[in-house]
Amino acid sequence: MAFVKRNVRWQPILVVLLVTALLLVALDQRGSGPITAVKRVAREVISPVQNGVNSVFNPVRDLFDGVINYGQLRDRNLDLKRKNEVLQGKLLRERAVGSKVGELEKLLDLPTFEDATGVAARVVGGSPSNFERTVSINKGTSSGIQVGQPVVAGAGLVGKVTAVSRTVSTVTLINSSGFGVGVRLENSNEQGIAEGKSGENQMKLSFLTDVKIVVKKGELTFTSATTDAVFPPDIPVARVVSSQKLAGALEPTVILEPVVNLDDLTYVKVLR
Amino acid sequence: MMQRRLRVLLLVFSLVILQTTIVTHLHVFGAIPDLLLVATVAVAYNGGPQAGALFGFFSGLVLDLFLVSPFGLSAISNSVTGWAIGTFQAGMAFQTRRTQVFLAALGGVIGGTVFMVVGGVVGVAGYLSLYSVQVIVAGSIWDAVVSVPIFMFVHWALMTEHLRRY
Repeated sequence: MAFVKRNVRWQPILVVLLVTALLLVALDQRGSGPITAVKRVAREVISPVQNGVNSVFNPVRDLFDGVINYGQLRDRNLDLKRKNEVLQGKLLRERAVGSKVGELEKLLDLPTFEDATGVAARVVGGSPSNFERTVSINKGTSSGIQVGQPVVAGAGLVGKVTAVSRTVSTVTLINSSGFGVGVRLENSNEQGIAEGKSGENQMKLSFLTDVKIVVKKGELTFTSATTDAVFPPDIPVARVVSSQKLAGALEPTVILEPVVNLDDLTYVKVLR
Repeated sequence: MMQRRLRVLLLVFSLVILQTTIVTHLHVFGAIPDLLLVATVAVAYNGGPQAGALFGFFSGLVLDLFLVSPFGLSAISNSVTGWAIGTFQAGMAFQTRRTQVFLAALGGVIGGTVFMVVGGVVGVAGYLSLYSVQVIVAGSIWDAVVSVPIFMFVHWALMTEHLRRY
C-alpha cells in the first residue's frame, strides 16, 4: 500500500518542499519572530516528557558509567584530592593579595565575576544533532534564564544560553565553531578573540592586539573587560596548548584548550 | 487511514523524544544516530520517493524545532534523503533486511552531506570541514545500527508488511 497517492507527480512536490524549506532557513537567519515563538512553544510542550525520560534514564546512565569507569573514577578522585590540597594552599597565599584587589575594584566600581548572581542547573542532555555543540539544562525562563546569558562551571566559562523555554534551556558551548569570546592573556594582558575550532575540543586565539607578543604554553586566558561584552570580565576561558609563528603569518597561531572539560558537564551556573 | 495517521504521529513524537533525550548521550567518534532520518529512509523504502520526501520534510521540520542550527535545514536534508532513497530502492531487484541496513547507512551519508553543504552555503560556521566528514561517516554507521528497530517501528506505523519483497 502506498503511503501517499501515487498519481501525484513527485518532482514538483520535491521542488516545492525544498523552496519552502529554503525560505524558512532564510527567515530564521534573519531572526524571524514567529519561528522563534514556534520553537519556544514546541520546547514548552515537549519539555515535561523530556524531563520524565531524563529522570528515568539518567540514574541508569550514571550506574553504567560508575560500573564501567570504576577504576578511572577512583584514580580521578585521588588526583582531584591531591589538586584540592595544592589549591587550598595557593588560595591561602593569594588571600592577602585578593583582599587588596577587591578593595581597589570597589574603589573603581568595576563589575566582577563574583558580582553576577546565578542559577545552578543540571545538564540533562547534549545536542540532538551531529553538527552542533550544545547541552540542555533543566532550568528555563521560570528561573529567570534568558537568551545570551553566560554559563560557567566550577573552573571557568562553558558557553552562553542560545535557546530557552519555561523549564529547559540550550547552552551553546565555547568550542562550537562560530563561537567567539573576547579574552585577555594572563601574562601580557593583551586581548584577542578565542574562537571554537570545527570538531575539536580546542579553540584558536585570533585578532591579538599585539601580534609580536610571546605567548607561553600553559598561559591562561580570561574573559576581557570590554564595553558591551557579553561575558563578565575575568572568567577563566582556556589554557594555551601551543603557540607558533609561521613564516609569513601576521600573528602567531595560538591554540587553546578550554579549562572546563566540556565533554563531562554535570552542573553549571547561568549568570544573570 | 485515521489510525495510520495517529500511528505516524506517535512514531514522530516518540523518535523526537528519544532523539532529544537518550540519544544525545550516545556519542561515538563525535556522532549520534539520527532516528528521524532513518525513519525517513524506512518510509521511502516503503512508499517511494514522494512519501519519503514528504515524511522527511515534516519530520525534519519537527526536529529543527529543537536545534540551534537554522530552521528548515533538517527538513531539506531529510526530504532530499527520502527522495533519493525512494528512487534508489525502486530500482533494486530484491530487498532483504541487509538492504534496509545498507539503505539506512546510505541515507545517513546523503542526509549528513546535504545538511553539511546547505548549512555551509547558508553561512553556518564550521560545517564545511573534514571533521564534518568524519561525523557523517560515524553517524551513518550509527544509523545502520539502529535501522532494524526503526524500520519495524515504521512498518508498524504505516501498517505495512515487515519486508515487502525478497
